[in-house]
Amino acid sequence: MSLLEVKGLTVRFGGLVALDGVDVALGEGETLGVIGPNGSGKTTLFNTLTGLYAAAAGEVLFLGQRLSGLETHAIARRGIARTFQSSRLCLELSVFDNILIGMHAHRRTGLLDSLLRRDRLRSEMSQAIERAAHLLSLFNPALPRRGLERVGQLPQIDRRRVEICRALASQPRLVLLDEPSAGMSPEETAQLMKDLQIVREEMPGLSVMVIEHDMFVIEGVSQRVVALSYGRKIAEGSFAAVSARDEVREAYLGGEAARA
Amino acid sequence: MLLVWLAEAVVFALIVAGILAERPLALAAAGVAIVVAGALLRFVAPLRSALVCAFALHPTAALLGGAALALVLPLALRSSPYWTFVATLALLYVTIGQGLNLQIGTAGVINLAGAAFAGLGGYSVGLLTVGAGWPSWLAVAAAPWVAVAVGALLFVPILKTRGHYLALVTIAFVFIFNILMNNLEFTGGPQGIKNIPTLRLGGYAFTARPTLGVVELPAHANFYYAALATAFLATGILRRLHDSWLGLALNTLRDDEIAARCCGVSIAREKLIAFSIGNFFIGLGGALYAVMVGFVSPPDFDFGYSLIMLSVIIIGGVDSIGGVVLGACLLVPLPERFRFLHEYRLLLYGLVIVVMLLFRPRGLWPAGIRRYR
Repeated sequence: MSLLEVKGLTVRFGGLVALDGVDVALGEGETLGVIGPNGSGKTTLFNTLTGLYAAAAGEVLFLGQRLSGLETHAIARRGIARTFQSSRLCLELSVFDNILIGMHAHRRTGLLDSLLRRDRLRSEMSQAIERAAHLLSLFNPALPRRGLERVGQLPQIDRRRVEICRALASQPRLVLLDEPSAGMSPEETAQLMKDLQIVREEMPGLSVMVIEHDMFVIEGVSQRVVALSYGRKIAEGSFAAVSARDEVREAYLGGEAARA
Repeated sequence: MLLVWLAEAVVFALIVAGILAERPLALAAAGVAIVVAGALLRFVAPLRSALVCAFALHPTAALLGGAALALVLPLALRSSPYWTFVATLALLYVTIGQGLNLQIGTAGVINLAGAAFAGLGGYSVGLLTVGAGWPSWLAVAAAPWVAVAVGALLFVPILKTRGHYLALVTIAFVFIFNILMNNLEFTGGPQGIKNIPTLRLGGYAFTARPTLGVVELPAHANFYYAALATAFLATGILRRLHDSWLGLALNTLRDDEIAARCCGVSIAREKLIAFSIGNFFIGLGGALYAVMVGFVSPPDFDFGYSLIMLSVIIIGGVDSIGGVVLGACLLVPLPERFRFLHEYRLLLYGLVIVVMLLFRPRGLWPAGIRRYR
């Protein structure tokens, strides 16, 4: 049984059809690349999977259960974590805090514990901070030492890493990465690819969906690729097969250029 | 450690001198001393770093020293019942400010109806004692829950709106509250509720003048100690909540609701908790105010007081627990000292807030990094 099954997913904004009957399936431990030109519905797909947008038709099965109608936080608790194209970290909060919020759903201490049984909260928090430091150290051994600095003081690549750590901190089954290389230099992008490899090695059971414009990243990290154009799935398969398809070249380059 | 206590004693002496100086010469001397102390702190770097170091090393000693000085303050102010009253008021604002800070500072729920929730606490005490004949202590214990309950009713529009719109909703609520209090029969209309009986604990009336050995304190010292205990408790509770999962979740949803939701945080649940706990302490402050002054009327809880509560938070430091204490202890007594400005109090507040936002936007005591201690 596949981890995620998307069947005939359709999303409309007024008259605009942002997703049009999209089918996607994803197995456990698999990394799926999602490509397509701007406005082809990639981020809409992620936003619908995480419950930020409501689907007009179709259904999403995760671990065999329907997700439609669930609120975003409930979907997150079932094991879908994500990052965002333009980073959504809390720049005023510490690096650790930004990762700890990912563990919020798994917390074991409540309000009364934080008031009256402070030692329980403290020990839970120090374990959580240890875990956050471990996640950070996977990507950059110098990062845990900056855990008590505000995220706003970190460079772009480290911020992206913190965001990935936040997603991993919730112990998800599926992580959605929305254009992790956005706004990065070629060197940083190469670094990021290594980071994604580390995630795959450290968490072999974790499934990943990654939206990317950088084809080197897609080629490097994904086992399978889905191409979207105008809200429709136009191709699916290995990167080599998908990138060789005429429809895909046309979608990216326009009809004339693709034929030339 | 000695340095910490010395610094606290100096601050204490300066405050008391500043408050009690009556004649122009003495007042000028106290003013000059405060300015000199401030300038020393600002421009003599070694002194400042030594003090910062000392306070960072001995937080417990600093807290104990501060608590001891707060306990002896009524002794120093015993010649002036009026200033004892003002000090009590400042402590009530600490309680209210801590509640409001959880909403505005930690959760980003811009609640400008602080005066109305304090009024709900105050009026509940009035109605329960004068109207229903409850003993005062029971009314004070029950009143905050009225604020919590009414806040819960208001929660639907509060959850649906954010930012400026949320602020407008809460402003509307203050005005609705005031108009209702002015026009309803059972709340006494514009006259309000008079003759609220004072607090009695085990036969001891809070209007009696307490004596410590040979020293007799003004009657308001009773309320001073009650307000001190409440403020201490409120600050402790809110500090612990701030440094917990709740504070973390609220800060995250304040900065980015979508990120918080995608991390599994239920916005409605966390905001409702923050709003209710906040209203509890705001209502408690209002309830204590009502038994202290013995009457409540609509102008005691008008929109201007919401702004004072807001400025306590902004001046002290948004989302900063220590900042609320500092803000309340500065903003409540200062206008009383400059009484010639009294009519223009709101003008002064407005000016101070604008200056603060320009030059020190994080407040006098900015919020630090959460360490879960």
